[in-house]
Amino acid sequence: MAKLKYLPRHKKGFIICHWLNGISFLMLFLTALPLYIPSFGDFYRAVGPHNLQLLHRFFACVFIATPFVGLFIAREGYKRLFSEALHFTKDDIEFQKKFPAELVGGEPDLPPQGFYNGGEKMNILLQMGLWCVLVASGLVLWLGTSLPQSLQAWAIPIHAIAGGCGFAAALGHIYLALGVNPESFQGMKDGTVLTDYAVHHHGKWVDELVAEGKVSRKDIE
Amino acid sequence: MAQEMAMLHDISRCSGCRACMVACKQWHDLPADMSTPFEGQYQSHADLTPTTYNLIKFNETTDEQGKFRWDIIKYQCMHCGDPACRNGCPENAISKLDSGAVVINEDQCVGCGYCAKNCPYGIPKIDGIAHKSRKCDLCFDRIQEGMVPACAKTCTADAISFGPKAEMEKLAKERLEVVKQSFPNAQLYGVGDNKVGGNHMMYVLTDKPEKFGLPADPATPKSIDMWKDVARPIGQVATFGAVAGIVGMAAIAQFRKSRMDKKHDEKKEG
Repeated sequence: MAKLKYLPRHKKGFIICHWLNGISFLMLFLTALPLYIPSFGDFYRAVGPHNLQLLHRFFACVFIATPFVGLFIAREGYKRLFSEALHFTKDDIEFQKKFPAELVGGEPDLPPQGFYNGGEKMNILLQMGLWCVLVASGLVLWLGTSLPQSLQAWAIPIHAIAGGCGFAAALGHIYLALGVNPESFQGMKDGTVLTDYAVHHHGKWVDELVAEGKVSRKDIE
Repeated sequence: MAQEMAMLHDISRCSGCRACMVACKQWHDLPADMSTPFEGQYQSHADLTPTTYNLIKFNETTDEQGKFRWDIIKYQCMHCGDPACRNGCPENAISKLDSGAVVINEDQCVGCGYCAKNCPYGIPKIDGIAHKSRKCDLCFDRIQEGMVPACAKTCTADAISFGPKAEMEKLAKERLEVVKQSFPNAQLYGVGDNKVGGNHMMYVLTDKPEKFGLPADPATPKSIDMWKDVARPIGQVATFGAVAGIVGMAAIAQFRKSRMDKKHDEKKEG
């Protein structure tokens, strides 16, 4: 058993941004659901369509503002997020190939991973891309009434497809966090992860910490 | 099945008296609308509004001889044969009646505004207080009772005609021949098939459609098919697929774990 039971992974500001992003996305999805799936129409009428439309706009503001809030309260975390996600290595691809076995309870032999593993990187890139598409098409729908009509019309399916993909990805993300690797969930609560978990799932990152002198080998083994 | 009807506005006969606007407001019980301040023009409202379904536009223009004139047009829902507003309505609140009238069911409408974004003519307007989409309904209720729409009924200059579609098309062609003698650029608009499935609101124009603020080549947006046939099904499959996938994966993981535990126990006992 390691002497140091937990390693600090995420800072408080970054955790706040994660939850702002996650909760606003979920609320955006819920408040738009009746337009998406016709059988939810009664839900729309029960809550009041206009209330949901106002809520959708409110959470849209939160969703758009989150990364900008991050510039102030989680600059380091976002910097890491961008730089790591944009550096896809061989190990990441190896990880992508072998990881699916873990989804169904297997224990594949995975290459050592950095602060973010190959799967997390994929999710980050996907979420970044979808954020851009959702925000751009959403702003066209909300404020673009003087834009060309065909652009406004195209914004409808584009917004819907991005929303659907984002929700499917979010479900996968939640399953991985709660079902497959519940140890990692701690990172989004108090910002720490179990040392044993970090050594096994983020070996390269732990090596980095040791090299930087932030922890000693002794403490973690 | 009710007969397919159509309305024809003969621009060359219109005097711009706006009696049709008044009749429309009266029949639909719509209040006065002060959204456009008076700026010295003859045109009453800048655009259609949630309480103005029918607008006489006074397009100010100068002809080749430098002579000022108004290109007057009665603007309202074009009652398309393949209505973009209906196709793209997520609540199925808009329907096309046998008469050709495209009608919004207020109880179903949630005011999302997709119809306004999809309409190539920019007709539907969202009522900011009731949160409903509003537009001309071709007085479908009057048509059902064998009457003509209020605007056509009241037209003082006989510029608005209403009747069976075939008859109106015939009348339009006859009128075009006459109008062409005074207006060489005269043309029909909305008559016959077009990219919106033909219109039940047709015009004899004295000039090009652009002069009247009409789109030259209106089309039902392809993005609606994308939304209805691709975006929504894919989104639903993705959503339910992700849920099913996760439940399935969790079940397999659980099954494997229990089998491993069992093996482990057996070993211990052995």
